Amino acid sequence: MTRNFYLALCIVAAAVPTARAAGPRTAPAPIQLPPLVQPASGETHPGKVIWADLVTPNLKQAEQFYGALFGWTFEPIDGDTNFAIALNAGQPVAGIVQRAMKAGQQRQPAWLTFIAVRDVAAAQRSALANGGKVLSAPKDYAQRGRQAVFADPDGAVFAVLASSSGDPPDVLAEPGEWIWSSLLVKNTDHETGFYRALFGYDVFDLPPEDAADNSHHVILASDDYARIGIHSLPADSMHRHPHWLNFIRVDDAAAVAVKAIALGGKVLVEPREDRHGGQLAVIADPSGAPIGVMEWAGTEEAEGTAGDQPDLPGAQKGAP
Amino acid sequence: MNTLKLSVAVLLLAGLGACAVEGGGYDGDVDVGVGVGYVGDYYEPCCGGYGGWGRGYRVGPPRGYGGGGRGPGHSAPSIPSHSRSGGGGHGGGGHGGGGGHH
Repeated sequence: MTRNFYLALCIVAAAVPTARAAGPRTAPAPIQLPPLVQPASGETHPGKVIWADLVTPNLKQAEQFYGALFGWTFEPIDGDTNFAIALNAGQPVAGIVQRAMKAGQQRQPAWLTFIAVRDVAAAQRSALANGGKVLSAPKDYAQRGRQAVFADPDGAVFAVLASSSGDPPDVLAEPGEWIWSSLLVKNTDHETGFYRALFGYDVFDLPPEDAADNSHHVILASDDYARIGIHSLPADSMHRHPHWLNFIRVDDAAAVAVKAIALGGKVLVEPREDRHGGQLAVIADPSGAPIGVMEWAGTEEAEGTAGDQPDLPGAQKGAP
Repeated sequence: MNTLKLSVAVLLLAGLGACAVEGGGYDGDVDVGVGVGYVGDYYEPCCGGYGGWGRGYRVGPPRGYGGGGRGPGHSAPSIPSHSRSGGGGHGGGGHGGGGGHH
């Protein structure tokens, strides 16, 4: 009797996956991502960083950390219980994706940067023609738009998005929103050429602010706004993989850094004054994903003296 | 007993076959992560220490003009400064962040 039971169990167990294999492969239900902008803006700002997704092995932990740190709230996504949208003051600000990490892989959770494009296919052609790679082919999401993931020539990973609801307007980020994105790479010249070709940026070399700094810093702009910075990796971090680092605007970077530690995170770069006169810091969430926090005073009167600096000699006049 | 062994073997083979057709990976193309379909899911190559940012290492945007035409000296622009409610003015405050325009 027992033998017959095990025999029947084995046959049934074997039949189920076999039947799945034999039948047509059904794609999982598509993720219902919300529109990037509500109501639709009708604006397009190619080259602007318009979204970021965190890929993490622990969605709940991420929600607790970022909720406590920035005051974000979270909404689940239809069609995927491992995906949540983070809201800042009720406005979508980021996606959080839970995926298992394979043991033994030399990889870490990270924020994936999304940059606006008008035409994802054209962006793909440009990326390939200029030394990039396509990591995930263009894909449509009903309300979100069309997006793809590329690696630049240095290997830094980023995404492009042609938003079907338009891009967010060019306004100063509120606290809790993305305010800036930096790309840390080994070859700034090559990388600058790649991103300029892809997004049509204007390029501005920044002179070193300190004789001790041998790094190369470039600002890439579109619509007369600074969009991203490209920076050579610090000399003693050259072994680090080139990567994007996105910053959330905060009122007090030092206080946020302290709070991050209390919430199970780490401080990777201690709070320090940056070129705009405000403080910034780099922290890691409990899963290890790096994220920047940056102060930004809304008016020049409220900021330090950095805003009153005269133009530096490297500036050039005339049309580009 | 032999029938039982045969069934177990069938089960294992069928399981392997199911794994093969179910697939995985990052949209099935490259090894950048652990994705299962969403175009944005990946884990970043790591690791290595962070930091090493010297005293003059600056990664933020300059406080300069922005969005209102070329700034003085054709210097690097700043980020948007208009608030969502309509306040603020052009530029991130102050004058150019320096730098030459390519």
